[in-house]
Amino acid sequence: MKNGMPLQSACKEFEEDLVLYYYGETSKDECSRIGAHITACVRCRGFLDDLRRLLPQMARSEELPQSFWDNYYRETVAKLAQQDERKHWWRTLIPPMKIWMVPAFGTVAMAVLVIGLLFGKGNLSSFMLRPAEKIPHEILADENQLQFFESMDLLESLTKLEAQDEQPKPEAVNTQSSRQRLQSGIA
Amino acid sequence: MTNPEELRDEQLVELCRQGERHYFDVLVRRYMEKAFRIAFDFTRNTETAKDLSQDAFLRAYANINQFDGRSSFYTWFYRIVVNLCLDHARRQQRVAWESLERISEEPGEQKHLADSTFAPDQEAIASEAKRRVDQTLKTMPNKQRTAFLLRNHQGLSIADVAKVMKTTEGTVRVYLHRAVAALRQSLLELV
Repeated sequence: MKNGMPLQSACKEFEEDLVLYYYGETSKDECSRIGAHITACVRCRGFLDDLRRLLPQMARSEELPQSFWDNYYRETVAKLAQQDERKHWWRTLIPPMKIWMVPAFGTVAMAVLVIGLLFGKGNLSSFMLRPAEKIPHEILADENQLQFFESMDLLESLTKLEAQDEQPKPEAVNTQSSRQRLQSGIA
Repeated sequence: MTNPEELRDEQLVELCRQGERHYFDVLVRRYMEKAFRIAFDFTRNTETAKDLSQDAFLRAYANINQFDGRSSFYTWFYRIVVNLCLDHARRQQRVAWESLERISEEPGEQKHLADSTFAPDQEAIASEAKRRVDQTLKTMPNKQRTAFLLRNHQGLSIADVAKVMKTTEGTVRVYLHRAVAALRQSLLELV
């Protein structure tokens, strides 16, 4: 292309090898094999010459002045310092804290936690152990059914289900007895 | 006391891990030019290259504990730079595509693009060749471009390029050959 010269094409089977040969990435054996081919083949020699001419030109970049690099370095270091400060921002909140204060604060925090748990335990356990008699009957009945359904194998438990259906519910028993009491009162 | 400039990369990294940040400044000085050049090869823009390469240093320092020492520091760092550049290129492609769509909606502008022919002298041909190389590199698949830029522009060995790209040397050889073939093809059309 330079001076109007057209680019040379290489033998197809050597093209990839020639690229690697140009970059010095071939083994010793490959190197001698390619070298022998180049001396005999004008096309491959021309192809290699093109690579030697064009590829370094593509890699060439403009030289930048030293002031650019000085400025670059200064800016980067400043940005790093900023990033470092942001990372440890919490340290600025507690500047007077000495190193011995850290375990002291830790111990106090642990003590507060333990005391809180000890005093709070009574309330918590009283809540957990709520007496059963305060819970309404409807909920207890539902709870019994829930326990039953949780552990049941439906086909095996059909008889139990039928038996449960035949038993009168506590609520129904209560209404029946109150009705009887009412009837006897009237009589 | 040893001069920090004489310490190896891995020693400097170890000191940085122990909280001695100023040792990272030595790594910045050591790799700033290479980082900038890679970013410039990808972006062809001085300011963007500067921002991206500086960002790579910030990320490298922030993640210094993740450097496991299985590869060398520079292959690890090159990987950060290349990833940032590829990410930037992806974002730019999206923006370019959107602006191209806007241009195609305006017929007057389209004519202007079609008329951009060059005078047939040597300078114009050289300028057109450069433009074609840049264009081919820009539109080339990312992996081919990365392999080519790292080998041809940065002078990394194929083994190191493979480490940066986390692939095999054989794959890098194929990428490199395809990239050179594509660039050559773009110049062939000019003759």
